[in-house]
This record gives sequence, C-alpha cells and structure tokens, in this order.
Amino acid sequence: MKVSKGEIFERLFVNEEVHLQIDQEAHSHVKIYVINAPFSITVNQLEEGCQTEIYALEHLRGEESVTAETHVTHAVGGGTSNQLIKFVLDDNARGRFIGDLKIAPDAQQTEAHQTNRNLLLSETAEMRTQPQLEIYADDVQATHGASTGQLDESALFYMQQRGIDKQKARQLLVGAFMKEVLDKIPHALIPNSLIPLLNAVDGVVE
Amino acid sequence: MGKLLEIKDLHASIGGKEILKGVNLVINEGEVHAIMGPNGAGKSTLSAVLTGNPAYEVTSGEVWLKGENLLAMEPEIRARAGVFLSFQYPVEIPGVSMTNFMRTAINEKRAYEGKKPLSPKEFLTLMREKKKLLELPDKLNNRSVNEGFSGGEKKKNEIFQMAMLEPCLAILDETDSGLDIDALRIVAEGVNRLKTPQNASIVITHYQRLLDYIIPDFVHVLADGKIVKTGDKTLALELEEKGYEGL
Repeated sequence: MKVSKGEIFERLFVNEEVHLQIDQEAHSHVKIYVINAPFSITVNQLEEGCQTEIYALEHLRGEESVTAETHVTHAVGGGTSNQLIKFVLDDNARGRFIGDLKIAPDAQQTEAHQTNRNLLLSETAEMRTQPQLEIYADDVQATHGASTGQLDESALFYMQQRGIDKQKARQLLVGAFMKEVLDKIPHALIPNSLIPLLNAVDGVVE
Repeated sequence: MGKLLEIKDLHASIGGKEILKGVNLVINEGEVHAIMGPNGAGKSTLSAVLTGNPAYEVTSGEVWLKGENLLAMEPEIRARAGVFLSFQYPVEIPGVSMTNFMRTAINEKRAYEGKKPLSPKEFLTLMREKKKLLELPDKLNNRSVNEGFSGGEKKKNEIFQMAMLEPCLAILDETDSGLDIDALRIVAEGVNRLKTPQNASIVITHYQRLLDYIIPDFVHVLADGKIVKTGDKTLALELEEKGYEGL
C-alpha cells in the first residue's frame, strides 16, 4: 500500500496477525501499534520528510510463539523512524524479533531509532533478537538497543518490604514494563477490549 | 511498656560467609535503639535479616515480634505486621507511580488488619497530610518510585512511606548518609514526630551526627557480627571521640 504525500496512516492491531508493506510519499506519517500478534511490517520512506513509528507489545504465555519483523528503509534523507518493540515472555513462550533498518547512501539527516526490550518471567521462556542495521549515510542519527532481562529482584523486595504481596509486586513491575508501549496509543484508538489491561497497568482501582 | 522485639543468638550468612555471629537484643515499646559500628560489622545484614531479604540466610537463632515468630513470616507479612525498613539505598522503580505504589501498600496492610481499603479521596488526603511532614513537593505523586529523585528526596521519601504505613518497628539503615544538614534535620524531625509510646525504632548509623537529632535510649556497638557494648547516648559521643578501636 501507499501512504500519499502529507497523509497520516495510523492503525492499532490487537490479536490479529499483521502483514503490511507500505511505501511512504513525502511528509507522510505512519503510526502502527501492535498488541499481542505476530507481525511483519515493511516500510519504505521513498520521499523526503517522512515519519514512521512502530510500537509493539507481545505478552506471551504457555506454549505461545510469536515472530515480529520490521523492515524499515530510509531511501531519502530528512526522515525519522522510531521503533519500540517489547516482549513479555512467561512459561515456555518463545519470542523472536527481526529488525532490519536501512539508511541509503543519499538519506542524509535521517533520524532512526530501534529499541527491543524483553522481559523473561520464567526460566524456560526464550527470546531471540536479530537486529540488523545497514547505514550507508554518514550524517545521520541512528540508535538501536536490544536487551533481555528478568524482573528486578531488588525492586521486588522493596515492594514486599512495604507489605505488597510478591505476586502483586510482580504484576506491578510487568505493568510498568508494558506501560511504555501502551502509553503511546492514542485514547481514541483504544477498543473496549483493551481497557482492562490499561487499567491494570495504570493501577486504576475499579 | 511491652516487649516488642526479641533477638536471640542470631546467626546469619550471605554466600556462605557468616556475618552475624550471635546477636542478642531486646527492644521494648517506646524505645529508640542506635546501632553503631565499623563498616562490615553486620549492621546492614541485621536490617536485611529482620526484614526477610532473600539474599541472606539465617543459620540459627530466633526473632520474636510481639510474641510471634518473625523469621517464619514472608517479607510482606513482616511489613504488614509493622516492620519497616528505611533503605540505605532506596530502589528506583521506573513505570510504577508513587501513588499507585503507596495505595497498594496501604491497602494491603489494611486488608491484613481486617480494615476496608481507603477510598481514592481518603488516600489522597492522607498522602497530602503526610507529605507536609517531610516537606516533600506534590509533584512526587506522579513520578515513578524514587526515579530521578535526589539523594535527599529518596531519604525523605522513605520517611514519608514510614509516616503513611505507621510501623510498630522502624529500622533506619544509614538514613543520614548522603544528606545535607537541612535534609537531615527534616528527616530527623519527621522520625521524631512519628514516635509514639507504642512504637520503637532501630537507628543504624556510622556517625554520631544523626543522634544529635534522634536521641537514642540505648546505643549498641556491633563489631564482627556481635553486640560488643551497650550504653546510653553518651556511648555515641565516646565513640565519636575515641573511635571503635578505643573500646
């Protein structure tokens, strides 16, 4: 599909598999949010001044397995891209993130950020991360970060020391981890089915 | 004046290394006990063991809180039963707001005591009231727990939480470290105002300075995992003058 000059394409996908191939024209803006679904998103910034944002949260349990792929290409300069992909993996869940980011030789003054953070809640959960950066222009700002870790034991103990049940403390920390992605989603896009999750993460008292 | 805490021949280790080598201590309601001692004597280990930090292993001995076996309780149960630790290094918890954290803690404690949870309005009123005590700004409510707080704000935030939770036994672990004199005064005044005839505190400190503000009933010297000397507040002054070697 094509996002025409100056247009905004903004979509939230919840629990539905996503396959998107998008060509962006000048000054167009793509914002994609994915919650709990496998996805493969390819975005080509073909003209100047494009913005691309991809935010994803995958909370996997049991034997679930999800692959998330992004292929973002900056063919011309002056564009920005921002990606934040988070996985929370429990039980025997398996996650995989493949992130290709290309900045073409002519794409000067591109700003591109790709971040993949993963939280393992069990010893048997597994995450594979394959970021691939190809940067051929020199006047760019590009960052990427990938990390996989466990819940912070010192934070858990701190909360327990204040009387918070260990299980609830874990929930609060997992919620805090997920919040960074959920906070990106505009309220108008949020379906009713997501409200309980958002309330849980914000600690709203029912 | 009832007995609040009794520690009997407590031994504890971390990573197989014995740190506490037979601590005995009785604390009654209304008392302030200072524990002083050189680095590595076991001061922070004692606070970690009393609060149930899983990194430490109790190898022998007993601890009783109001006649109940403290060592058999999970850390969160100890907290709800009224044991509070003001951490030497308060932990930053990004993404968990102070409000959410504190409301969860308060309501868990109230549930344990068989009380109804506070309504959001009651809770916010209580927060506001207690924050004044520590001269903490309102904006801290919306920030993540301890995240980006200055050293002084972190320590004030510990005492603020103590004010919210009203523990029967407060353990202040090096609460004076990293505080300038103004913050020290505010923190100490907060602690003093929370004092009642029913509660008690253990003030762990390296220096006499804090004890100018929080006057202890007893001063204990912990060295090499044991309490080697006990006296009144003048012992702290003596230590300041002669050092621990002078004992």
